[in-house]
This record gives sequence, C-alpha cells and structure tokens, in this order.
Amino acid sequence: MFLNHFEYFAPKTPAETMELVARLGSKAKILAGGTDLMVVMKAKAISPDYLIDINGVEEFKGIICEEGKGAVIGTNTKLAEIQFSEAIQAKYPALAYAAGEVGSSQVRHMASLGGNSCNASPAAETPTPLVAIGAKVVLSSISGERELPLEEFILGVRQLDLAEGEMLTKFILPEPAQRSACRYAYMGRRDAMEIDCVNMAVSIELTDDGETVKDVKLVMGSVYPRPLVSKEVPALLIGQKLSDQLIEKVAEATQGEAKPIDDIRASAEYRREIVKVLARRLLKEAYAAAQGV
Amino acid sequence: MEKNDLKSKWNLTPEGWNLEGVPAYQDEKRYTQVGRSVPRVDGPIKVKGEAIYTGDMTLPGMVYGKIKRSTYAHAIIKKIDFSKALELPGVLAVLTGDEAPNKWGIVPQSANETALAVGKVRFYGEGVAAVAALDEETAEAALELIEVEYEPLPVLLDPFESMKRSNEVLIHEDNKGNIMAAGDQVYGDVDKAFAECEYVLEREFHTNYPQHGFLEPHSALASYDTQSGQLHLWASSQVPHYLHRQMSIVLEIPMNKIRVTLPAIGGGFGGKGEAASSEFVACLLSRKVGRPVLVTFDRQEVFYTNKGRHPCHMKVKMGLDKDGFIQAVDFDNTLDKGAYSGWGVVVMFYTGSMIHLPYKVPNVRFRARNVFTNKPSTGAMRGLGGVQPRWALECMMDEMAEMMGISPYELKMKNAIESGHTCINNMFVPHSEFKKCLTTAVEKSGFLEKQGKLPFGKGIGMAGAYYISGTAYTLYQNYKPHTSVMIKVDTEGGVTLFCAASDIGQGCNTIMCQMVAEELGIYYEDVHIQSGDTEIGAFDLGSFASRVTYASGAAIKMACVEINQRLKETAAGMLGVRADQLIIKNHEIYSMYESKKRMPWSKAVETYTSINGTIIGMGNFSPPRRKGIDIITGNRVQGANIGHSPTFGFSCQVHEVEVDVETGRIYVRKVTEAGDCGTPVNPMSVDGQVEGSILFNIGACLYEDIKLDANGKLLNPNFHDYKTPTAMEMPEMDTNIVESYDHTAPFGVKETGEGAVQPTFPAITNAIYDAIGVRFYNLPITPEMVLKALKDKNK
Amino acid sequence: MKKLIELNINDRIYEVAVDARDLLIDVIRKKVGLTGTKKGCGDGDCGACTVLIDGKPELSCIKLAIASQGKKITTIEGLVQEGGKLHPIQQAYVDHGAVQCGFCTPGMILSSKALLDRNPQPTEYDIKHELSGNICRCTGYKRIIEAVEAAAKVWSKEGVQ
Repeated sequence: MFLNHFEYFAPKTPAETMELVARLGSKAKILAGGTDLMVVMKAKAISPDYLIDINGVEEFKGIICEEGKGAVIGTNTKLAEIQFSEAIQAKYPALAYAAGEVGSSQVRHMASLGGNSCNASPAAETPTPLVAIGAKVVLSSISGERELPLEEFILGVRQLDLAEGEMLTKFILPEPAQRSACRYAYMGRRDAMEIDCVNMAVSIELTDDGETVKDVKLVMGSVYPRPLVSKEVPALLIGQKLSDQLIEKVAEATQGEAKPIDDIRASAEYRREIVKVLARRLLKEAYAAAQGV
Repeated sequence: MEKNDLKSKWNLTPEGWNLEGVPAYQDEKRYTQVGRSVPRVDGPIKVKGEAIYTGDMTLPGMVYGKIKRSTYAHAIIKKIDFSKALELPGVLAVLTGDEAPNKWGIVPQSANETALAVGKVRFYGEGVAAVAALDEETAEAALELIEVEYEPLPVLLDPFESMKRSNEVLIHEDNKGNIMAAGDQVYGDVDKAFAECEYVLEREFHTNYPQHGFLEPHSALASYDTQSGQLHLWASSQVPHYLHRQMSIVLEIPMNKIRVTLPAIGGGFGGKGEAASSEFVACLLSRKVGRPVLVTFDRQEVFYTNKGRHPCHMKVKMGLDKDGFIQAVDFDNTLDKGAYSGWGVVVMFYTGSMIHLPYKVPNVRFRARNVFTNKPSTGAMRGLGGVQPRWALECMMDEMAEMMGISPYELKMKNAIESGHTCINNMFVPHSEFKKCLTTAVEKSGFLEKQGKLPFGKGIGMAGAYYISGTAYTLYQNYKPHTSVMIKVDTEGGVTLFCAASDIGQGCNTIMCQMVAEELGIYYEDVHIQSGDTEIGAFDLGSFASRVTYASGAAIKMACVEINQRLKETAAGMLGVRADQLIIKNHEIYSMYESKKRMPWSKAVETYTSINGTIIGMGNFSPPRRKGIDIITGNRVQGANIGHSPTFGFSCQVHEVEVDVETGRIYVRKVTEAGDCGTPVNPMSVDGQVEGSILFNIGACLYEDIKLDANGKLLNPNFHDYKTPTAMEMPEMDTNIVESYDHTAPFGVKETGEGAVQPTFPAITNAIYDAIGVRFYNLPITPEMVLKALKDKNK
Repeated sequence: MKKLIELNINDRIYEVAVDARDLLIDVIRKKVGLTGTKKGCGDGDCGACTVLIDGKPELSCIKLAIASQGKKITTIEGLVQEGGKLHPIQQAYVDHGAVQCGFCTPGMILSSKALLDRNPQPTEYDIKHELSGNICRCTGYKRIIEAVEAAAKVWSKEGVQ
C-alpha cells in the first residue's frame, strides 16, 4: 500500500519539463492526474526513481476550441473539464461523453486526457473517440516537436511510439466536416467506475445529398491491444446509403475484425457479441446525427 | 425545568396508528417515542467526520501490526525465517502461528481455526506471520523480509471435487471426506407425499460466492498492560462477547482480564460476526511488545479473509396437490465452506430450517453437507443460511404456479402461514402478517396486471420471505441470558442505558434509546447510551441474526419495571394516590383517574434519589427454550437448535426488470416491498435497512462474485473488479411497513434488515423469466448468461 | 530526507514534514490528525477518501501530499459552519436518514458539495452520476439522493457557500 521512494520534481514551464524528461529518461514517469500511475505504483508493478509532476505547468492545460478551427487540448486538461466544456460538447459530443463516463467524478477531476492515452490500456475510453475524430498528438522534446495520428502513437498494451526524451503535450483535433457526426458507446457490467469490456466510436461524414456515406471511421476499444480502426467498415460503406441490411452486414464484418480476449471482466465471445451490437447502434446513431447536422 | 423545555422537539402525535375511541391507559400501542422516525443519535458526529472508528484511534506508544499472507491456497509451511525482518530498524517483534496454537471458532464444537496458520495453509491469503513496527511503512517493508518456504499441496476449489478426492487430499486431518458437517432431518414421509402429488418439480440451483463489502476494513487496536495483565481491545466487530471469549481462549488470559470496546463501526453485515486475524494479531503482538498495537486490513486482506456467503449447490424437489397446497419438499444442499469451520454448522442447518416457513409444509426431507475447500472461509452474510434456499424455493414456486396455470401470488396466498402456526419441526410463529405483505406488495406494484403482459424484455417478478428475530441458543453451551441491560437514573447523569450491544450502522443505539424513553415515559433525547463495551455494558450476545431489537427491547422493559415502580411509589406518596393508578408519559407522572393529580417526572426522581440514591434497573432476556422438545410426545425434535426464534419478520418484494436483449444487461427498474417488522421502532431506520438490503442483494444477484484462478488465487480482491452496486444501479424503491404488532414481543417488535434481503434474488430471477422466458439456476446472472440463453432459446 | 511543506486544509496552514511518496490521505489522517477522511480501499475505487481540492472532488488515497501544496484542501471537518452549526448538506443527511454506519459519509458529503457547487439544481440522474464514485453498502443510496435534493432546495434559498 506504500509507494517506493522517488525523487519528486514540479517544473513550472514546458522548457523545464522537457529538460527533466530528456535528462531523466526512462527512470522517470510523468505525474498528471496519477489515477493510473499511483495505482500501478501501489501494486508495485512499477517503481520509477523520479516523478515529474506537470500540474504546475499552465501551458499543458486548456482547451482552445474556436469556430472553424478544430480544437487544441493540452495534455493535462482534466477529463471533467472536457466533460463539462460547452464548446467540446457542441463540436465533439462523443469526446465529451466518453470523458464523462471515465471512472468516477473524482477520477475525472484528477485524470488528464494525455494520461488516458499514454497509459495505453486497451480499455481506455477517450482514445477511442479521439481516433475516430482523427485526433493527432504533439510529442515534444528539448529538440523540437513532431505530430502523429493518435492511432499511430498507441502501439499496444502500455506501448507508445514515444522516444526517450519525448512527452505528449497536446492533442490537435480537426474541425469536423460538414454533415458529419461522431458518436461513442461502451458496455460494462455496471454503469459507473467501470473498466469497459468493449467501447466504440463511429464517425460518419455524408456527401452533399445528405444520405450517401462519404467517409466513415469505426474505432473499437478493449478488443485489441490498441484502438482498432476498422478496415472493413469504410470498404463496405463508402459511397453507400445506409440500410438495415447494410448495417447488419457491416456490424458482422466489424465483429470479425475484433480480436478480444477472455479475462475476468468478460469472455471473448461476449465481447464479440457486444461489438456487433454497438456497431449496429452507433452506425445508426451517427448516421442520423450526421443527417440532422 | 420549564414545562416547554420538556417537550421533545419531535412530533408527538402518533404516526399511522388508528387509536379512535381507545382510552390512552388501555392502549399499549399508543407510543410516543417508539414508532417515531427520529434521526440517529450518532448522525451528527458521523456527518461532521467526528465519529471515531478503530483505525482513527491513537494511543500513546502505539505501534502498527501487519500480517504476512500465504501465496498458496494449500501448502505445508516448511520454514519461516524472519531473522532479516527483525533486523530492520523500527521492527519490534515478529509473530508466527505456533505461538498461539489454540483453536478458536464461533461454534466451539467445530473450532479449527488458529490466529495465524499452524503447520499448513489452507487458503490463499491465510496469515502466516505478523510484525509489529513503529510505523506502517516499516511493518510493510518487514513483511517482505520474512521468508516462508512452502511445500505446495493439491488445491481443491469445488466441494464436489473436494469430497471426491478426499482420499488423496485432506484439508483438515480430523474431517474425513473433507466434510465439515453433515446433517439430515426427516419430517413426515416425503416419498409417500410426492407419490400423491399432482404437480412435482425437481430443479438444481447454484449460488455464488459474494462478500459483504463493508466500507470499513477490519481494524483492531489492542493494548496489553504488562503490569496488571489486563488487555483492552478496541475492534470493528459485531460480536464483542464472542470476541471477548475467543481472545481469552487463544491468548489464555481469563475473560475478566480482557475488555472489549467497540468504537464506531463501518458496517458488518455478518462479516464482522466472528473474530478476525486482525484482532488476534493485535492482542498477541501487544502482549509481546507491551505496547498498544493497531492492525488495520487493507482492502485486499478483507477479500482474502472473506467469511462471505456459502455457495450452495441445491437439489430441490417440491410437490403440490391438485389444489396447489404444498405437500412435500425434498432439499439436498452441498455447501462450500472454504477453509475453516466458523459458522458452518449453523449456516448448514439454517438452510434446512428455511424450508419450513413462510408456507405450510407438512413433509420435509433435508440432507446437507458443508464441505471444506481451499478458498477463503465462508461465514455469516446478511440473511445467513436463508438467502440461498429462499432463492431456490421461491423460484420453484414461481415455476410450479406456471405449471398449475395460476399466478404465483395465488399460490403463495394459499400456502402462506398465519399467526399461531406451528411448523412440523416445532418452530412456532406467534405472529405473522405475511399475507398482508404479499397483498400490499402485489397491489402497490400492479403485479397481477403486469405479469405476462409486459413487452418482451420487460418483466415483473415476486417473492416472499421471512427471517428470525434472534436465535434460540447461544453458539456455545450456556444458559445465561442472551442480553442484559442496566439503566441508571439519577439527577446528575439523567438516564443512562448500559448494554454491550454493537451498533454496526444498523442503528440499534438509537432504537434502544427510543425504547428506554418509551418505557420510562420520557423523551428519546434524554437517554444516554453506553454500548459496545464488555466492561461498562451488561452482557449482550452480539449483532447477528437480527436479534438486537427484540432482545434489548425485552431486557429494557424488564429493567424499567423496577425504576417505574419506585418512582410511582414516590409520586403516589406525594400526590396522595395509589401507585398502581399512575401513568408515566411525556415526562409527567399522573393519575389515570384524576388528571389534576400530576407532577413532573424529574421531581419524583429528585425526591427518590435524595432519600435512596441512584436508581438502577436491571433487565435480562432469554429466548424461550421449549422448542427443542415436542410438548405432546416429550421427544426431542430434530433441527431444534437452529432456526427457532421468539418471533419472525416477513416480507414480500416485487421487482420490475428490463433486459437489454442485445447486450444481456439486466436493469432492475423498480422494487416494491412490503415488510412485517412488527412495530417499527424507528420507521426511517427500517426503511433505510430495507433499501440497503435490496441493493445489497441486487449486487450479489447480478454483479458480485469472488473469482479465483486454478491455483486458488483471488483474481478480484478489490473494488474495481468486485463490483458492488453504485448509485447508478439503484432502482426506484417503494418500501412499505405493513401495520403489524406482535403481542408476544416487547413493543410488538420483530426483525428487519435480514428479512428484506431474502426475496431479492428470486424476485429478480422470476422477473427475468417474465421478461425473456428464461429461468436461471445459477448466480450471479451475468449478461453473458443472458445472451447465451437467448441464443439457445431461439435455436 | 523529508521535506517541509505547507498544506492549506480547511483554510488553515499546516506545516508537515513529508517524503515525496507520502499520500495525502495518510498525511491528513496521521500527521495533521484529521481522521474524518476515511480509507476504504486505498486504490481509488470506493470514494471514502474523497476530499475537495480547490473545490473539486479528488481521491486522497492516490494523491501525493507533496503535489497538494498551494491548493485549498477541504476535508469533512471543514464543512461545519460558524458556531458548530451543520452545513445544509450535513443537516440534510441527518434529517433524511442518509447516514447508517457513516464510513462512506464524509466522502459522500464532499462529493455532494462539489456537485451542488457546480450545479445547484441537479436532476436525480445528475446526482446519481456524480455520486457514483462513492460506494455505500448500507443505505442503498435512496436517502442520500433525497438528502442532496433537499440540500439543493436550501442552496437555492440561502445561497450557501
């Protein structure tokens, strides 16, 4: 129940943070919300020598969400802020909803958007809609910055495309296209403090006729070591108008792509069933929302 | 005192009692303190965060104890090397099992547990050693330095496997077949009865392995005084007396040198109804180091030590005659005991006695065996021994009602017992409003209009149940009263009640004050209570089997007789009337015939005490013992020991569920409950207990189960994977206390808090059947099971 | 070596010597001596350890003490009003029978306060959603929700802090 001894740093600026990250390398862990980190350290699964507390760096927090300009969200923006942000609720409702369903109210006030992605747990909630929205992450170091799509950043269970000396500092969300909508859903055993057995986000964009699918992205969480972007769904849907049969076909194809495991939360077989159900429900919901937009 | 100051700030007009035309002095039901929903005496300090729980306490020189736990479910302990731990600065002592080899057990005849493991470990997480250190961090670090060498043994995780392989693997040397206890009881002739039944049904039911999940982990602070040899133990426990006894047995200290005090307790539900290793280790270490030692479990340890509900594998056969009257029940039960005996015998026989109520059952055959496995021991969990058979029997009745083509409500009403019923096993029910419970719940929920008529995926189900109000016997051979109280009245201290009863959150401190106030004719706010201390308070058996209200009520009534008599005699002299004409109510003593002859209660107290000193009233309660013998034949009746109670509480629940047929998720939307708890001493408290009971068992029905891997290691010893219901899972609840008054009981009271757990499992299971046409015989009912069943159904 | 830090708890500054690894709950309970905050699980799963940090509910059992400097920490002991009067939420819990064993109560009350501070007119769903991080085993939550609803009414009448 006690953590190991470590040295604690509380930088005040991004530059100070980058310097520490570069210098301390893999012996250090970033402390943002700590809701994953503290639990894992208590279980003695990891024992970092250094903790870099970034909560004192204002530049890492904040939501910039202006009309027509997508959004930029600082890595240490708390999930509760995203949940209650009217701007995010309006432009990226799937993200606001997903953020609002993570853990508990207390967890949401502590946990950061960056942490939820960097922890790279397959059951993480916010990466799923972020990938569906087409979010990019900005990785910074003392030598500069690079951007990459979130789905290329999360490589597997607790594995990231993050070089030593780098740190995730921002999320860049593209402006949603006209006639598009993104929706998120999850399934667990109970409706709070849950580790999802499946979660999913669907983003649909329609052509000018308001019925034909121009682009679609379906992302599954908790059924693969990382957020799984469906290949079948775009192949089957782009250029089509949605019908019940098509939705059923697509849902089944999605089910085939998922690669869930058995664990104490749910069996692989059940997860596969839920993938199909969520796909069906989300496709309908996102399609209807895109039409209404 | 001004007359106005004496008025209780609570509304004094009776709530809900119809007292038209009944003269006050003749109506024993005209209560002013009992039957009021007063807020709990300890409410304010709890909301301010000022209530002191064991883990909040600090004593001078206090050090911390921690327990090293086995990482094998079954193994011989070959060697324990703690030399490195002792060398760690700040470590004061190390303790191993062989230093306290005396066996203890809540039921002494089957006691086979030790404070720490001796020779071998029998479940994953069993304590093998303990350390005392200056601070918790050092204690935890010291545990890492204790090296234990184990020789693993084969692990038995299922009672059937355990019985089958007992020649190869014996968990306890003294228990052949790995059987902790077995029993069978035969009443009448079930086979003959079945042969004559029109409707016969046989089914198998399997329940799960849940845990109480109380928020406060076990905690114990022991302070051994080296000079006087006195031991003072503060612990989070429901049973101060049993704790007192067990410490004496294990530490070999006479009971009169041990004092147990209960601080505030953060929930028990039966899980703190036995001694825990925290308590033994704290005492043993304190004696060893001569300083106070605090041992608080972390949440994982609470799961490891469990003492939760026995998984039951039940084979039930029920027979109805052509008119729908139950003629016979054949009940076979294999219980999973886990590693140690504890409550095993009691729970096993309770499952048998549960068959006999709340319906008339003329022929019964009961066979059961409680089997050891290498899992954390099972024990007493809310509604002990009742929840599992009640689930099976109520589901059976639902199925049989369908076979007959009548509603389950009709079937239950036909067979329901009434006041004055004697069961075939000689249990006597002095009072019952069970039928009223059934009717109330059914009418309020609209059950008859909805059953079978809701759209697919929505369903409604009902179940009835009962529970005891205290046991007939103590758990060890003894003839002393089960509860004693002492009430002190004087002008300095006012009125103080002394009773060692344990308030675990169920609110018994409050209701005892209400009962004292009622009986003495004063206000509940005037009564102070000293409870939960074996030295200060008079003896009480503990908070289990829903016994405290009834038992303390009876003892309180007796204690007040003496006090009232003296005050009445004093007042009589001062008023010039006869003492037996006087009534004491609302802080006044007055003649029932001449209303001008009245005086303040406090004046009588002052006058009496200035002549004679402090008034003390003593009261005792022992439940009647006649039930063990059949009065007509003089023969001993089987099953006489367990299940009998001075009186019984009843309830009925109707659950409305919604099943998401695509995901298998079950949502309990609304629960309508009607309960017979006799007089509700504190209606708000009763409602709180009932609401808590309902959600408690919704959790065990749908979400909760302790999971283990093939080696017996617990996979979910924490709250994120052991899923207790959150506020999101709460259904709409409509709880009703039916008007009821048990003339044989003090203030007419019966039990609440365990009766209301009983109908939950079957009501939900029956509602799911109504929703999707599938009956489940395994718990918990998971979404996966639902989906699979729907798939199989559609094939 | 321990570091001397200042913690602002209930509008009072406490100077405590801590290791970097010390958790806020242990510092509050043991070093500062305020035992109203309870440890139910130590893993962030039950909410009993909830405190308010700058008015937001957080889990003190997974929060470092050293990371809590410069913030306004509110524990249950900080809610009592002048003259020992109960805060409306506390009063509502007592009046509505929302307290049984009391162990979840401090955390539950602070979560309730955080909710009402942010949303003074919550719906039943809002209340359930925001309190779902606080586990209660005794009450079944019904009276807790009623208490919060009652407190919300007082909020709107009295404009409470």
